[in-house]
Amino acid sequence: MADRPVHEYIKELSNSLVILSDKVVKNFSAAIDAISGEAAQNLEEVRLVEDEIDASEVRLEESCLVFLALNQPVARDLRSIITILKINTDLERVGDLSVHICERIAEVDQDFLRDFHFEKMGYVAKDMVQKSIQAFVNNDRKLAEEVCDMDEELDALHRAVFKKVSAEIRVGEMDSNQFITALSISRYIERIGDHATKIAREVLYLVTGEIVRHVEGSFEKLIQSLKD
Amino acid sequence: MQMTAEAKSSNQSASKSGASREIFLPPERDRVKDGGKPHLSAKNFSIFYGDFEAVKKIEADILSKYVTAIIGPSGCGKSTFLRAINRMNDLIPSCYTSGSLMFDGEDVYGKYTDEVQLRRKIGMVFQKPNPFPKSIFDNIAYGPRLQGVKEKKVLDEIVEKSLRKAALWDEVKDRLDKNALGLSGGQQQRLCVARTLAVEPEILLLDEPTSALDPKSTAKIEDLIEELRGSYTIAIVTHNMQQASRVSDYTMFFYEGDLVEYAPTKQLFTNPRDQVTEDYITGRFS
Repeated sequence: MADRPVHEYIKELSNSLVILSDKVVKNFSAAIDAISGEAAQNLEEVRLVEDEIDASEVRLEESCLVFLALNQPVARDLRSIITILKINTDLERVGDLSVHICERIAEVDQDFLRDFHFEKMGYVAKDMVQKSIQAFVNNDRKLAEEVCDMDEELDALHRAVFKKVSAEIRVGEMDSNQFITALSISRYIERIGDHATKIAREVLYLVTGEIVRHVEGSFEKLIQSLKD
Repeated sequence: MQMTAEAKSSNQSASKSGASREIFLPPERDRVKDGGKPHLSAKNFSIFYGDFEAVKKIEADILSKYVTAIIGPSGCGKSTFLRAINRMNDLIPSCYTSGSLMFDGEDVYGKYTDEVQLRRKIGMVFQKPNPFPKSIFDNIAYGPRLQGVKEKKVLDEIVEKSLRKAALWDEVKDRLDKNALGLSGGQQQRLCVARTLAVEPEILLLDEPTSALDPKSTAKIEDLIEELRGSYTIAIVTHNMQQASRVSDYTMFFYEGDLVEYAPTKQLFTNPRDQVTEDYITGRFS
């Protein structure tokens, strides 16, 4: 049967989320590009787009709240709106972190950053964000689970940066501020991966109706990851 | 067709076949004292109008002291099922049943079942308020008087207690001798609930009790259901799905005479297991 107006409206909200995600991914790409130069130029552009992202996030949240109040959705409709609301928040945080990356890059020497291979981390994180949104659009459980698994790769790259910074600071031959900035950049990219994972988990909730956060074994996994 | 107030998620195939009748209680904080026992048990229970099977081979337990909502499109058999519980359908000549419907271990349709006693224990409130054209007091005292209660003091107590339970006492205590038809629609409906409670039933059947009421009166009836939950077993037929989700612990979804899904309300309205249920509650029904 043809979609009723309420379902058309949910589609519109989903489309708004996808448009928002395009802006967020574009901004994050610009932040990653800035690592290999053009930092000063990109920072201004990234900030301008970030303002747009913030405004879009607020508008989308307002639209979802109005929809909830007026339509009292249930079942899949309810899960769709809740998922959109949560992904909206995660995307906005990815936008913030992209700005933070640009700000940190402006504080350090470009050549210094080359040793940390942030392009690779950025590529993995960007891939995770894009795939998580693709999973949302297509209700793709398998792809969402793939994103959750990818987080481990990103965490490993972050741990490698941490070890390198830790070792260099211990030697004490170079400016420790630069290393701390590098560690911050690594941490921001790793956080972006975490937001992509959260989005993927929301997609799993949308598709299955089960909340998969804090499931059995997740604590043990966290402890193991810290030991590694 | 099926089943009990069990979590279909835990054993869907078993419940489909009606093999599992495991009782699924709400989380601890939502549980009522001494509740959750099968108060009504339908086994292979069908209701016919002539050759037409309006309700098909229901397998379900309605649990004591909880609120069970019955939803579904018009003509799905939900009101027929509700009315069968206290044998209101006996008044329809072509209507008959097969299978069994047990109330507290006794067959509702047993050969020696006393319908009058059954209807005392299983009270019913209808879509349209239907007070007798008598005083408020006499409306409530009507049932107890039929049971032989004559003493004025005892009747006074029953009337006050029933009106208090129905959250109407404060509004009518100074005009108990006035005609009940002078009350507002919402007050009349609560009066009907009080009249039912006056004969101390165990089960309350509510057949779209708020469909003729304004939002304020509807809210009062819903609050009343919440008050009575834990003291009475309540089954409510409603077309208002938000109402079903607000007031009930369990929900039965009927479609074309089949009990398609029966689950805890929180589950049915957030993550229904059956596509037909999903389509109905989200308005995607063709």
